[in-house]
Amino acid sequence: MAKNRNSQSASIRFGPALAALFACFVIAGAAVGYVWQKGEIYRLGKQIRDRESRLAQLQSDDKRLADQLALLHSPMALDRRVQGLKLGLAPAHPMQVVRLPEPVLGSLENKNSVLKFAARPVESTTQ
Amino acid sequence: MIKRQQQIRRALALLALLAFGFIGLGFRLVDLQVWRHDELAKLAEKNSEQKIWQLAKRGDVLDANGNLLATSVPVKTVWANPLLIGNQQAVVARALAPLLQMNEGDLYQRLLPRVWKNPKGETATNQYVVLQRKVSEGTWQKIYSTMTNLSLTADEIKMSKTERANYKVFSRNLRQYAVSAEQDQSRVYPNGALAAHVLGFVESRDTTNHSSELFGCDGIEKSFDSKLAGASGWRVTGVDSRNRELVAMRDEDVDARDGLTVVLTIDSVVQNIVESELAKAMKEHEPVSITGIVTRPRTGEILAMASLPDFNPNDLRTINTNTEPNLAISHVMEPGSTFKTIVISGALNEHVVSLNDTVFCENGLFHYGGITLHESESHHFGNLTVEQVLQKSSNIGASKIGIKLQAPKLYDYMTDFGLGAFTGIPLPGEASAKNYVRPADKWGKYSIVQIPMGQGVAVTRLQMAMAVSAIANDGVLMRPMLVKRLQDPDGNVVQQYEPQAVRHVISEATAKEMVEALKTAVSDDGTAPLARIANYTVAGKTGTAQKVVNGTYSNDRFVVSFIGFFPADDPQICISIVMDSPKEGGRAFGGALCGPVFSKIGAACASYLNIPPDQNSQQPNPPPLVAKTQNLR
Repeated sequence: MAKNRNSQSASIRFGPALAALFACFVIAGAAVGYVWQKGEIYRLGKQIRDRESRLAQLQSDDKRLADQLALLHSPMALDRRVQGLKLGLAPAHPMQVVRLPEPVLGSLENKNSVLKFAARPVESTTQ
Repeated sequence: MIKRQQQIRRALALLALLAFGFIGLGFRLVDLQVWRHDELAKLAEKNSEQKIWQLAKRGDVLDANGNLLATSVPVKTVWANPLLIGNQQAVVARALAPLLQMNEGDLYQRLLPRVWKNPKGETATNQYVVLQRKVSEGTWQKIYSTMTNLSLTADEIKMSKTERANYKVFSRNLRQYAVSAEQDQSRVYPNGALAAHVLGFVESRDTTNHSSELFGCDGIEKSFDSKLAGASGWRVTGVDSRNRELVAMRDEDVDARDGLTVVLTIDSVVQNIVESELAKAMKEHEPVSITGIVTRPRTGEILAMASLPDFNPNDLRTINTNTEPNLAISHVMEPGSTFKTIVISGALNEHVVSLNDTVFCENGLFHYGGITLHESESHHFGNLTVEQVLQKSSNIGASKIGIKLQAPKLYDYMTDFGLGAFTGIPLPGEASAKNYVRPADKWGKYSIVQIPMGQGVAVTRLQMAMAVSAIANDGVLMRPMLVKRLQDPDGNVVQQYEPQAVRHVISEATAKEMVEALKTAVSDDGTAPLARIANYTVAGKTGTAQKVVNGTYSNDRFVVSFIGFFPADDPQICISIVMDSPKEGGRAFGGALCGPVFSKIGAACASYLNIPPDQNSQQPNPPPLVAKTQNLR
């Protein structure tokens, strides 16, 4: 039985068509991807720039506020404020200051003073 | 046949034309890509690439407790490109003059475009004109907003379509790019004139990269300039047609390294106490100048150093030849009687005399080598012990002790106490006074009687304060310490400075003897009862030196001083007060004028520094000034 050549030649050859279509998609996809990537790079670049600018602004504000705080804390500013408010505050007279000598750890251990404090009766501490 | 030949000719002609065309293009290609490659590559780079400088923040200066003494705040340098302003100078000047605090006419002139030939013969234009420096961030925001919403004077309705399109581009460029700002910084001293002579001041100078940099001109700002300045960073990056940075095309990106923070030994509270008291004394006694130094004798730390008149480093107009010098280190003076501490220390240390030895003070008239030394009427003493020579500040007594010590030894002690040499304080402009502390072989015939009473020798106020501090410190001379440490902006210590002993000048025993003798100076019979501080034992010495005017010693111009320390047996602080030419003239004495200033500063410092009193009972009030004035030397 002879083959029908006419119908055979007229039949659609899917392989090459699919390959061509695939190539087109790849090329178009690459092109779109490239453009998208460029767009992303630009967008992210702008974002970085904006955020860097914001960071610089915040650092500047932080510095300004820290300086302002330091100024308000400064002894001269406090002195001026105290004088301005007329609170009657004045430095303590040296004789008004009660100084308690710091106990030396070694001498305490020798005298078993830690034990003495621990052994103190409860009623004596509550009086 | 003819037709075919004609066709061939035409084809050849076309071919030749094409060949010429290609040769021309090839030539141009070689011209652009090979011969002019370097020049054009630079041009292309200039158009698409930009180098952005990043400013390094100048480091802060802190006091010993971390209080801010000097800092830098970010500001803007506002500049304009007159080429983008076209003929709208009047509009821009009117809008910006109030914000920039400039005269409208001056601003208008600055905004005019100018063209000139540079030295290379090329045409140059003024595309970068600085309008104002040190503009705050807030003001710049207002300027930017004003420029963005600027109403221009041109009438768009009368314009053709092309003119309107051009005008649109022009107005957009003018509003957005004609006036710009660059990052800059301004130095701020939050406490104004406080410690001005220690801190110094800065000035700004233009750099090649369109910005300005601060540089120290005096004080710590100058001596630590390289540490405070930091290092600028830069970024090489691609820019778009509107000169906006393209982050993806960043090339070199080097961050700026901010300057180090300098932490001083100065305590701003003590400094404030000293400056307040000096200002009161300045008002009361009207001297030409007054200085105060507070040190810790054990470490050499300077807690306060002040000179009046002073200046405000925030306002450079207050700086002039009268206010700028730090008198404590840069001016030399004859020390007067405070110098007796050095002579007697040396004599005690060499065992030439002891405190109880008697010196005959010639009843106020001492003939030596053909000259006669006269004491003032209140100082006609007969026999005095060495201790009393210090207590009563006898010039003849000191001269006789100097003669016993002999010139070479006296000179050795002077230099050992640090006179005639730089103290090593990290401040610019220190005088060594080397020429005024001459070796013994170059002394004159009368130097040995003159120098022991503080004449014919000159010192700086700091040298003298450190010498007395050495007596307080068991005879060990310390290097004056002004900087505690350097730290980075995050507070990490980069360099720590430790107290440095220079040398052991006198023995500990001699130092203790000297302290006992100096305690008597503030007794009722001494020269400085007004220098006493309630609840503390004070040791110190007064000085009243005649000033040399027109080559002779003046009888109405004196440099008066008091240097003392307390608590005498465990000295915590040493205070030096020096007044130059107070209004009292011939009636001016160190004990009477500087003693009370010392006492007030000492009492306030003792309270603030929480120095434990060494006297349990409150001492009676010092005797009234009038009764003892004649004895105060």
